[in-house]
Amino acid sequence: MVKIAKTLLGLAAFAMGLLVILYGLSFLFVPKNNTKDAGMEEIYANGIQGEPPNSIDVVVVGDSESYSSISPLHIWKTTGYTSYVCGSGRQYLSYSKTLLERAFETQSPKLVILETLCIYRQIPAKTVVMDEVSRYLPILRYHDRWKVMTREDFSPTDGNSYTTPYKGYRHNNKVSGADTSNYMAQTEKIASIPLVNRLLVKQIQELCEANGAKLLLLSTPSTVNWNYQRHNGIQELADELDLEYIDLNTKPQEVPIDWSTDTYDRGDHLNYSGSRKVSQFLAKYLEGTQMFSDRRGDSKYASWNTLLQDYEAKVEKAS
Amino acid sequence: MASYFSPQYLALLLPATVGLYAITPHRARRVILLLASYVFFWAVSGSLIVYLLFSTLSIHHLGLWLELTARNGKEKLALAESDQRKAIRAGIQRQQRGIILLAVVIHIGLLLTLKYSHFFLSNGNALLRFLHMPAILPVPSFLLPIGISFYTLQAVSYLIDVYRGKIPADHNLFRLALFLGFFPQMMEGPICRYEQTAQRLWEAPPMCWNNFLLGGQRILWGIIKKMVVADRLNIFILNVFSDYDQYNGSIIAVAAICYTIQLYMDFSGTIDVALGSAQLFGVALPENFQRPFFSRTISEFWQRWHITLGTWFKDYIFYPVSMSKPMKKLTSKARKRFGPRYGPILTSSVALLCVWLCNGLWHGSAWNYIFFGLYHFALIFAGNLVQPLVLTVTERLHINRNHIAYRLMQTLRTCILVCIGELFFRAEGLKNGLKMAWRMVTDWSFTPILKGNLFAYGIDGPDTVLVVLFLVLLLVVGILQERGVKLGEALVSKSWPVRIAVYYAATCFLVIFGAYGIGYIPVDPIYAGF
Repeated sequence: MVKIAKTLLGLAAFAMGLLVILYGLSFLFVPKNNTKDAGMEEIYANGIQGEPPNSIDVVVVGDSESYSSISPLHIWKTTGYTSYVCGSGRQYLSYSKTLLERAFETQSPKLVILETLCIYRQIPAKTVVMDEVSRYLPILRYHDRWKVMTREDFSPTDGNSYTTPYKGYRHNNKVSGADTSNYMAQTEKIASIPLVNRLLVKQIQELCEANGAKLLLLSTPSTVNWNYQRHNGIQELADELDLEYIDLNTKPQEVPIDWSTDTYDRGDHLNYSGSRKVSQFLAKYLEGTQMFSDRRGDSKYASWNTLLQDYEAKVEKAS
Repeated sequence: MASYFSPQYLALLLPATVGLYAITPHRARRVILLLASYVFFWAVSGSLIVYLLFSTLSIHHLGLWLELTARNGKEKLALAESDQRKAIRAGIQRQQRGIILLAVVIHIGLLLTLKYSHFFLSNGNALLRFLHMPAILPVPSFLLPIGISFYTLQAVSYLIDVYRGKIPADHNLFRLALFLGFFPQMMEGPICRYEQTAQRLWEAPPMCWNNFLLGGQRILWGIIKKMVVADRLNIFILNVFSDYDQYNGSIIAVAAICYTIQLYMDFSGTIDVALGSAQLFGVALPENFQRPFFSRTISEFWQRWHITLGTWFKDYIFYPVSMSKPMKKLTSKARKRFGPRYGPILTSSVALLCVWLCNGLWHGSAWNYIFFGLYHFALIFAGNLVQPLVLTVTERLHINRNHIAYRLMQTLRTCILVCIGELFFRAEGLKNGLKMAWRMVTDWSFTPILKGNLFAYGIDGPDTVLVVLFLVLLLVVGILQERGVKLGEALVSKSWPVRIAVYYAATCFLVIFGAYGIGYIPVDPIYAGF
């Protein structure tokens, strides 16, 4: 027994030593700012780190549905509230949590919106483990930077400098209409949510509460990805966790999506026209909460007005 | 759990099994190993574990039946008159052959049904269409349990060895179950013989620090080979092989070389993890690789690559076919007709053809695998035929066949031939393989490589440097091993600060240079698909 205890102690000491080395190496490998050149992944989603501290009222996390449906500059134009979409293609909930943790390091949003499609995305066990472990050992996420490391990597972080011009929104004005024959056919059936994802939503809720933010579940319109079974599943989860849930797929009056003109890929994602309708709805919703104040006259936010002019000139003109 | 490289295996199943094995009393250890094996199988293949259970029960019963037949026969022989003995012996042999035939029908039949019915019936339908016959054969689709191609061969070898009297039938069902289902060998082999592992597994030796270190080192080495090199090359290989008509012949040739490297690193890395895992429990599984790229001929290559499959085919196909009565007759006729040198070569080629057809088919139910087998048959057959001529010519020209330059030329030639074979092995169908090979002949230019276009297809400059440096390291390790240096044991014998420094360095190397995470596609062990 003493021999086994000694062996276990030796192995534990070895593992501890290894963790310390990897933790130390992590400082070397972590990107020194949030630009692509510095090795940051998903720079659109991580662009929030380049925003001035405590300047964002609403943070959105989610997959491609989020960044194609919600336009922060449109919300700014209508309300004067600042928002940022931390969206990335096929985002896993574990990564949504990571993005939120990073956002909370510099921002104090009052509202966090979680686009619900990623709640149904099965996360490979390996990804869950890697995402969790790389939270403490970033070298596991950024190890591939050995290819691009420079002398600067041996110095401390030089501050995040990158942010996206449209605050995470990705503009697309193509039109490719959708078939809506089976879209949102009513049913009592419930699409089950993977257990790991349920736990992650709970953790995201706790993270938001710990940072003084409210969590809102939002399903943006999509004929391809959304149906009533999924609606029921998210509703059940929202009731269980006492969260507010808005499904825009069930609100054709408030968000009148025309599926022949408002999607660029046959109902999978919304195009600019569709995103305007969703953003307009969100603007009204945010006003209704009375949680935020209009910052359009605040000189600290003058850059948003400049960006809006550019947005209107380029995006709205192109559409 | 997808493979030996999944966190569930490396961080849960293996450590938990090692921990339980270390603290449980002797008799319970074998139970731990069997339970862990079934948990592993269940985690990978779910309810398809019934196939493994069926195979275990079946070989246990058939083995006992063989033994009973032999015992009854002996009793009859003891009581029989001398003139009746020949007939009794023939009767026993007939009965035992019947049992073996039944075993082959059950086990190989199950493998054929699950793995090959789709291939044979699809080709049957193609033939019917070709003959304008208005009939369609239903093509079923079955889920394959993990490792069926490996444990089926183990099951058949056990029964044939019992029949041959090499080993006694095992009365202990659980020992047999552990022999057949031991989890480290389940995914990609090695294909073990009963006498190699069954007893040692059943003994369940106590954990030993030396074995623990050797096993751990080997696991780490295997993971490095797979994750640093094999997985790194995957995107480039995937791009070229799935869209080959976009690429110049030289790029296709590089892809074929890269695939050969990938396959070796992937397969030998997985085998390292398998052998290392078994060694943690003090069980030595047979080696499956012996530096195959040092081979001077294709024949030698196959004695060094996937050794346990090669010896299985040799013992259970090549010898039985070449020692059969019709083949003996044919050999003596051929000897008279073609002389003592070429006669036996020609007749042994029949057995060789059977081996390579089976080898090709074993790898998968597609024409490119059959072509792969026949390609190697042709190379070995041609090698056997021209060998006397080569000997004569080199002697006349006073060429020293043991000179380093001559040996290097032979090794290089073998490597090139292997790479060509692997091109067909990896190609998405035989037609595509032939087109790729044709493109290498008709559309060859070094310009894309010299211009660095290669780096636009999924592998960049640093990747290439890393792979080349690792191959150099592997070459040095290989040369040392060829000279009899046992690097694993040498490291274990070093003082603990040196050992720990090496383990930390190797782990950091894996963490930094492993091809995982963002930008990489996880790759399941390639041979697990066979």
